[in-house]
Amino acid sequence: MRRPLLICAVLCLAACSIAGVAQDLRVPASVTAGEEATIPTTGSGKATFYLVGPGVSRKNDVSLGEEIHLQGQDLRNAGDYLALVCSDTCHTGTFYVIAAKPSSLTFLVHPSRVPVGQGDAISGVAFPFDQFKNLVLAPATVTFQLAVGDKPLFSRPVRAQNGVAWFRTASGKSAGLVQVIASLDDVTAKRAVQQVASEPCNLRITGQRIPIGVLVQTEPVHDCAGNVVPDGTIVTFSATEANGKSTVDAPIKQGIARAQMEASGTTVVSAASGVVMGNELRIGGKP
Amino acid sequence: MNPVPGSAIAHLRRALRVVSVSAFISCLALSSYAADSVVQVQLDTKNATPRAVESLTERGILRDYRFAWTSIAQAVELNTADPLEGPFAGEAKRLLRETVVSQQRSGLSRQYVNQSHRLEAVFYAPEGDVIELHDTAEYEIRISDGGKIIHDEHVVMHFVVLMTPGADRWVIRQLQAVPKS
Repeated sequence: MRRPLLICAVLCLAACSIAGVAQDLRVPASVTAGEEATIPTTGSGKATFYLVGPGVSRKNDVSLGEEIHLQGQDLRNAGDYLALVCSDTCHTGTFYVIAAKPSSLTFLVHPSRVPVGQGDAISGVAFPFDQFKNLVLAPATVTFQLAVGDKPLFSRPVRAQNGVAWFRTASGKSAGLVQVIASLDDVTAKRAVQQVASEPCNLRITGQRIPIGVLVQTEPVHDCAGNVVPDGTIVTFSATEANGKSTVDAPIKQGIARAQMEASGTTVVSAASGVVMGNELRIGGKP
Repeated sequence: MNPVPGSAIAHLRRALRVVSVSAFISCLALSSYAADSVVQVQLDTKNATPRAVESLTERGILRDYRFAWTSIAQAVELNTADPLEGPFAGEAKRLLRETVVSQQRSGLSRQYVNQSHRLEAVFYAPEGDVIELHDTAEYEIRISDGGKIIHDEHVVMHFVVLMTPGADRWVIRQLQAVPKS
């Protein structure tokens, strides 16, 4: 009756020593990144200690019966660690290093340039990281703010889930630089979004005859919120006279688009930009 | 024309035998690596918010995540950082390179065998520039010291992964093992 048990025990011992899997080592339940830790050992004599983890692969001799000291330097990276103490057999233990407190925010904001008055046009995503660049997964509240100078436009606290917090909001009414701020405790990240005028609104043109044709120009072009449309926005002028029609594209410069067009007879000039049409202008023929 | 001495021919034959035996062993090693390096990956994107994951994006992530783990397995088994060029960026790349350098110093190596990954997309940024995945991975991990296996264990691990789109692929920027919540 005892012989099979004995055989089993011998086989188990043999299997353990071959595979290197043995009794548990008393390791810490979890360690905060960058902190020191100790692993007690029992017995006497020399053994080899291994620490295998993210970015770490350490091997050194230890004396059994003494504590193994793990330095903060070895435990900077969050993740799973395997500790092995091998003499005749190997004793193992696994533990996790968890991220320390947040010390920076990775903050992605889109877009960098946005027309005013657009719904859900600005979005931001924040990831908290500790000083060792580990993603902090512990619950935390990130506050997102939009401000123009010192004037706050928007503030929203968001609970970070799975190490990420995000927001989305409409762009404001006025063109200009908007500060987008994410803050978590004493950690802050700032980004800038340039709000620009939206599509032109109420395009109005004036014109006059000149020796070589007609000179037409817009009044200062604004969007519907009164912001000056940015330079480079194209205005298309069309001149129609009895013997034909001509078209020219002119970019806005300092709020005004200007064009010279060849025309000798009575000419009707119109302008358009984007989906907006301007007034029609009738200019008499050459005297 | 000088006659070839008999001892030289014998040398040549021996050398050829050594070369062919080495080539055969290398082939065996490579084929056994290929068999071990099959990485199974499943991806579930139905809970991704706030942006839905397009099927083309899903396929790209699946392909690149599988390739990334094949590269990790190669890097830490053969102790070379070369496979890490491409599938990784930022912190993940730095950490894996550190792992390889540390292993080269200590003479250890790791093997990830029979990998199976169940990925779940939990966050996909509104502009599609970052995705957070949770991976429940199962594999056998073997730690070797100078070629001798000192630890061999089947493990179930949980990883939090951040991937961002690169020019032609998705790259891993953060790969962090976490305790099961």
